[in-house]
Amino acid sequence: MKNLLNFLARYNNLIIFLILEGITVYLLATGNNYHNTRVVNGIRGLINGIEERINITRTYLSLREINENLAAENVALRNSIGRLVKKENSLFFSVSDSIYRQQYLYTSAEVINNSINRQKNFFTLNKGYLQGVRVDMAVTSGNGVAGVIVGCFENYSVAMSILNLDFKLSARIKSNGYFGSLSWDGRDYCHAILSEIPQHVSVNMGDTIETTGYSAIFPEGVMVGTVSDFEKIGGDFYKITISLITDFKKLHFVDIIGNMKKTEQLELEKLFQ
Amino acid sequence: MINSILRFGLIFILLILLQILLFNNIQFSGYVNPYVYVMFILLLPIEIPSWLLLLLSFTTGLIMDFFSGSPGMHSSATVLAGFVRPYVLRVISPRDGYEPGSDPSMLTYGFIWFLTYTLLIVLVHHTALFYLEVFRFADFFRTMLRVLLSSLFSITFILLFEYYRRRK
Repeated sequence: MKNLLNFLARYNNLIIFLILEGITVYLLATGNNYHNTRVVNGIRGLINGIEERINITRTYLSLREINENLAAENVALRNSIGRLVKKENSLFFSVSDSIYRQQYLYTSAEVINNSINRQKNFFTLNKGYLQGVRVDMAVTSGNGVAGVIVGCFENYSVAMSILNLDFKLSARIKSNGYFGSLSWDGRDYCHAILSEIPQHVSVNMGDTIETTGYSAIFPEGVMVGTVSDFEKIGGDFYKITISLITDFKKLHFVDIIGNMKKTEQLELEKLFQ
Repeated sequence: MINSILRFGLIFILLILLQILLFNNIQFSGYVNPYVYVMFILLLPIEIPSWLLLLLSFTTGLIMDFFSGSPGMHSSATVLAGFVRPYVLRVISPRDGYEPGSDPSMLTYGFIWFLTYTLLIVLVHHTALFYLEVFRFADFFRTMLRVLLSSLFSITFILLFEYYRRRK
């Protein structure tokens, strides 16, 4: 007993160190569930309040730019409405369609916290599950992909940005339809990597890269960026560098997109796996 | 006693606020992310009991984790930094030892001593932090470059703050 006490007294330093490191490793290992734990939830709520204050100031400073972007988006939307109206009036589409149902729901949100300089970047949005946001919804900014919701609180949600080593997205070259896997290599916030495109496919600088919609998260055809560089590596595939269309340094207003037929698709796919 | 608790509390809050409001927003390429809040661990009195040092390091890291949404990353690195601090102090102790009841400051022990002290602990902290962040050994040397560049900036800022403190 005495020996044990001596031992403890002698190495108390090391023991406390190991216990504390143990706690941190546990926190690290349970990483993603972290967002959902209740304790953290409370603290996050408080911190989000502070971050929102900071954000209000920041938004005010860039109001002019935001207005311009909104105006441009309005024009684009008006144009697409114009096209739709015309379609309805034309002879072929004048049938009242009972099969067609809206597949994607859109809602807008504001980014209240964002980072681009880590290896695993997340951003926080000011809408949560009370506003209908759920985990695994897509987040786009203007016309480009921004991220995926990974955690929801009552009034806030956290999204994993493209700029995260764990982010994977199915994307394709618009001109020829070949699809591959998009990920970020952690180097800089303007570029991502598209891999798994076979070498017989013709790739050109400036080709548009868009989402495929295979993952049931993003709708088909949301723009990701343009090809800025490509090289042949090792085996049979290209390594295509994409310059992202979304500017993560000034991410402000984003759209959250929910896929209403997602469970249907996933359940069906599950049957065959 | 109360006085020094108050003083360190103030330094603590100041450093955390600086880190969150200013340094976390520095987005200067992906390579430079200074983490100056480590300075808190550097400034604690030399004779602080090691269990208290470890607990304070842990708390600092935990608060940073909450603010940057990175579970366990910062706390792991700061606990390691708190653990090596007594050994670093022993290795670089001046010839006639430390004065009882003194703080590790540039004023008491000189610039070179403070630089070595900061360098060693910041390097330990940043190495742990950046490798935990990436959590893989792919791009080993790129991560090392990030560690070195960020350490350079952190150390510069810490020295500047310390210099300012000395003048007061």
